[in-house]
Amino acid sequence: MNVDLSMFERFAVTFQPGDIIFCEYEPGDNFYLIQSGRVQIVKILGDIEKNIDILQPGEIFGEMAILEEAPRSATAVSLDKVKALEFNRENFEVLMKGNPQIALKLLKLFTKRIYDQKRRFMILTLSNIEARVADVFLMLAEDQPTEDPEEDQRTFSTNVEDIAHWAGMSYAECKKVLNHFAGQRRVEIYEDHIIVKNINDFQRFVSSQRKKEKVE
Amino acid sequence: MPKAVRYHANSVVYFKGDMNDRVYILKSGKVSLNYNDIETGQEIHDIINTGEFFGVKSALGRYPREETAVVLSDAAMVIFSVPEFEQLVLKNTRIIMKMLKVFSNQLRRMHKQVRNLISEGKDGLEPEEGLFRIGQYYLNSQKYHQALYAFRRYITYYPSGKYASEATTHMEQAEKALQGGGAPASMSGMAAGGGSTPQSATQREELSDTAKSYYNAVSLFSQDNFQAALEEFKKLVQANNSEEYVAKSQFEIGRCYLGLTQYDKCIEHYTQMIKHYPRHPDLRDALLYVGNCHEKMGNTGKANGFYKKVLSMSSENEVIYRKAKRALRELEVSK
Repeated sequence: MNVDLSMFERFAVTFQPGDIIFCEYEPGDNFYLIQSGRVQIVKILGDIEKNIDILQPGEIFGEMAILEEAPRSATAVSLDKVKALEFNRENFEVLMKGNPQIALKLLKLFTKRIYDQKRRFMILTLSNIEARVADVFLMLAEDQPTEDPEEDQRTFSTNVEDIAHWAGMSYAECKKVLNHFAGQRRVEIYEDHIIVKNINDFQRFVSSQRKKEKVE
Repeated sequence: MPKAVRYHANSVVYFKGDMNDRVYILKSGKVSLNYNDIETGQEIHDIINTGEFFGVKSALGRYPREETAVVLSDAAMVIFSVPEFEQLVLKNTRIIMKMLKVFSNQLRRMHKQVRNLISEGKDGLEPEEGLFRIGQYYLNSQKYHQALYAFRRYITYYPSGKYASEATTHMEQAEKALQGGGAPASMSGMAAGGGSTPQSATQREELSDTAKSYYNAVSLFSQDNFQAALEEFKKLVQANNSEEYVAKSQFEIGRCYLGLTQYDKCIEHYTQMIKHYPRHPDLRDALLYVGNCHEKMGNTGKANGFYKKVLSMSSENEVIYRKAKRALRELEVSK
């Protein structure tokens, strides 16, 4: 985004590496635009800390606080020394007038988040757990378009834990489904990536399952 | 160029699943957006009012249409390409504001629906318990800075919450751990990183000593003995025994300067403090005092700026908000 932000200097805040910028469950009243450094978004589930995203300069986070104060849905931690512009509902108006490009960027961010949530919801509505896992791969495939649409085999840099998260099931349950797929030679599971041998086969499997469940 | 078009009743503007990058605004007639509710499968008909946009989300987000737009009675509309739409709203930010509101509501609803489907219940914690558990997680994984942050926030939001006393204990634990790790150079007699048990015992004593001197200084201040208080707070900062008390003392030092009517020193001190602690818990009070100093020195413009800054950082029901508001009013009257 090529816009002049110098007039917003007075909203600048800095964080040291490892600082919590905000914490899940805290009431959210600010949102941030990263100017330099990276910010990691994590969620703590029981006794594991799960990486949700790593954000780069130019990206916005905490945006749900723009219009209402609701608890944060994740924790934001600075990975490097981070400089960010901090906005709240009161000075948002100033921002909008001074730089509507940022507001437009936010609008686009919302359209993407809504789509992603809907897609995730569609996975969770499948009651067949194998179809659910297969649909997670379809979602991941949609996010990484291939150069060769004829190619059936797709490689995803993901792991069992991630797939379990998206499919809304426990690690053990997900592992069982994936092992079953591996036994059928439909997937190959490695430490840091998973290969789906035929993504179209998954596509057919998921849509037939969706139709079947709709009838029931 | 945006294009004006007419559609007859019963025609379709676009079908669900279509890919196109147009945004529509309805000028007259009636259009319905038809789709199935993703939760219940029930068919929904959303009627578009004249003057309303539709097709915005899928066009901006570049994904397939999620609904079929059916014309119910002869309609006139204007079609925008995405760049044309962007040009329009950039000049009229009220539209963006309104859409942000609609989208954020939709997103909240989606989040909730997703949560309802994840039966594990991990996500369904009450904020109070959630915040406390995060502190515990960081404490257990020995990330003390993060643990301190979470527990401090807990105490701020839930001062008499059900985990308040536990959170306080954990905070002390984390503070001790942090100090133990950073082996203070001033403690000459102690072997670096020595056995943890005896050391933590001395730490505790020292912490309470620090606290004692801090409250002693606070009491001097409350008796308007600003000079003596200032010296005590400065000693606390120099001793650097406890991160928390150093930060607290830094704030009090500024107040002492204000009490001593050394306004320029006060401004300078708080400017340094804010640089060092951009998230100091008393940040807004510090800014208010800086405003006071400017006012006393006759810089009403600057004072005004600082008071407004405090206002922008607080909500109407907070004490600090009322303080800043009053300061602003008095500034206005004195003009």
